Amino acid sequence: MNGDERIMFLALREFQYAKLRYLLIGLIMVLIAWLVFFVSGLAKGLSSDNASSIQTMKADYFVLQKDSDHRFNRSLLSEDQLQDVRQFVGNNASTPLGVQMTTVTKKGSSKKIDATFFAIDMNGMLAPELAEGNLINNSTKNEIIVDQSFKNEGLSIGSRIKDQLSGKEFKIVGFTKNQSFSHTPVIHMNFKEWASIQPSNAQNKLSFNALALKADQGKADNIEKNVKEVDVLAKGKALEGIPGYKEEQGSLMMMIVFLFIIAAFVLAVFFYVITIQKMNQFGVLKAIGAKSSQLARTILFQVLMLSIVSLVISMALTYGISAVLPNSMPFDLSPLLAFGCSGLFLAVSVAGSLLSLYRVVKIDAIEAIGRAV
Amino acid sequence: MEYKLVLDNISKVFGDGDTSVKVLDHVSLHVKAGEFVALVGPSGSGKSTFLSIAGALLSPSSGRIILGGEEINDLSPKQMNRIRMEKIGFIFQSSNLIPYLTVRDQLLLIPELAGTLNEKAEKRADDLLKRLGLAHRKNNYPESLSGGERQRVAIARAWMNDPEIILADEPTASLDSERGRAVVQMLADEVKLRDKAAIMVTHDRRMLDLCDRVVFIEDGKLLEQTKRMSL
Repeated sequence: MNGDERIMFLALREFQYAKLRYLLIGLIMVLIAWLVFFVSGLAKGLSSDNASSIQTMKADYFVLQKDSDHRFNRSLLSEDQLQDVRQFVGNNASTPLGVQMTTVTKKGSSKKIDATFFAIDMNGMLAPELAEGNLINNSTKNEIIVDQSFKNEGLSIGSRIKDQLSGKEFKIVGFTKNQSFSHTPVIHMNFKEWASIQPSNAQNKLSFNALALKADQGKADNIEKNVKEVDVLAKGKALEGIPGYKEEQGSLMMMIVFLFIIAAFVLAVFFYVITIQKMNQFGVLKAIGAKSSQLARTILFQVLMLSIVSLVISMALTYGISAVLPNSMPFDLSPLLAFGCSGLFLAVSVAGSLLSLYRVVKIDAIEAIGRAV
Repeated sequence: MEYKLVLDNISKVFGDGDTSVKVLDHVSLHVKAGEFVALVGPSGSGKSTFLSIAGALLSPSSGRIILGGEEINDLSPKQMNRIRMEKIGFIFQSSNLIPYLTVRDQLLLIPELAGTLNEKAEKRADDLLKRLGLAHRKNNYPESLSGGERQRVAIARAWMNDPEIILADEPTASLDSERGRAVVQMLADEVKLRDKAAIMVTHDRRMLDLCDRVVFIEDGKLLEQTKRMSL
């Protein structure tokens, strides 16, 4: 007879006997775990729906104007600053980025679509990967490539859109994948077009919002110290500067944390009440020779068993639901994230049972003597 | 003469200094193999403490206890646990069966906890159930048993580890006298049959004639009395 079976003797028989009781607590655990998985997937999905353009960029750091609060759209950099920065990193490791949030309309329709213009050097590292159609280059005129979510608006290759701010018309020549910024699809254009939609500039000099860098921490610090009027921030910090990103992820994260705390408390209270109910029984078991460790293992086994079964069921439910969700729903639960959440859930469950374990260890076998109940 | 249990000059003091209470005062008792001893006394006389010390649940303040040839008065809690598991059978008030185990599993729990569950143990459980007239109840839960049946299961459970001594704490408290008598009779028969010893704490004087010896306890002192009641 191996040790595992011995632990299960009491635990499994109790499950079998008090089916309803454990089924109900299991159901609560399933619902909580389900919500944990779902909100986690939603947080991840929203995060990429919000900021996939930045997340997929092959850049490590961004240079922004000083005191721009980490926000691309508040930052303005000049050609001179680009040259200053390039003294520290190579030309290939730094590239300018223009960002402008705007509203466009499909030609011949008055329906408005929010979007974000990204002005990039098509020969630089920010050039997006194409999913369909043709790329633009630095000299094409009036041509743009757009995120494929534009297809949902009835646009296709060859369609024309009009920028509401500048009144300029563009022709779509290609579609990109996973390019969104602040929940809007990104429209990539070259700097020639960028100049044409900017308010007229007296010196006729190129201006842009940020510089993307491929650099290590040392170089980044160096640039921040030596180039005037700039902040250098890592990609993660830049994500937080996207309008709404921090707030959105923050509130979802708070929900997830609370769900974990609730799960821990539900299990803790349930097992604590059951343990208190069984004090006399544990006293008898100890009197007839059961060790504290055997009883503690029984409880731990029950907690883990309940949690694992609940997790498996809720994971199946989560993936089942996500399969029938519409594609436009931002939901992304990777197996890694799911297992991470599950691991945390188990840890939290065990933490919740510690109070009961403590009570069980403290029970004195002598309580079994001279008691009538 | 072989003694199953020897309590030699046992004292038990709770608390210390001015607030100390002497619950047992130089108590000695020898129980022979095959002997069934009744322990009678008013509440607060030290019955429970006596039983707890004899049952290796509590260590005495002074004195020696020899159970089945092994001295157990100075053991660690862990060793006392082992002694209880291997050498002592307990029968508690109102049986104290585990509600979620079937009658047969109540018995198998004992070897299960000791890590000795095998076919032999299962056969032992089945034999005990048959002897105590519970074979037809072996798949029932305690809730569906009568009070007498529950105490018989408790007796069977107490024999499962083949103990040197059975300690019974008012086993008839929740039974009417007819059923109570049947249960005690069964206990007495088993003690004789197996040549083991038993001590039963009781306040029910109608059961005393089934015992070989009656010991009175009052204010922590034992007053031995040879059997004089007879029917």
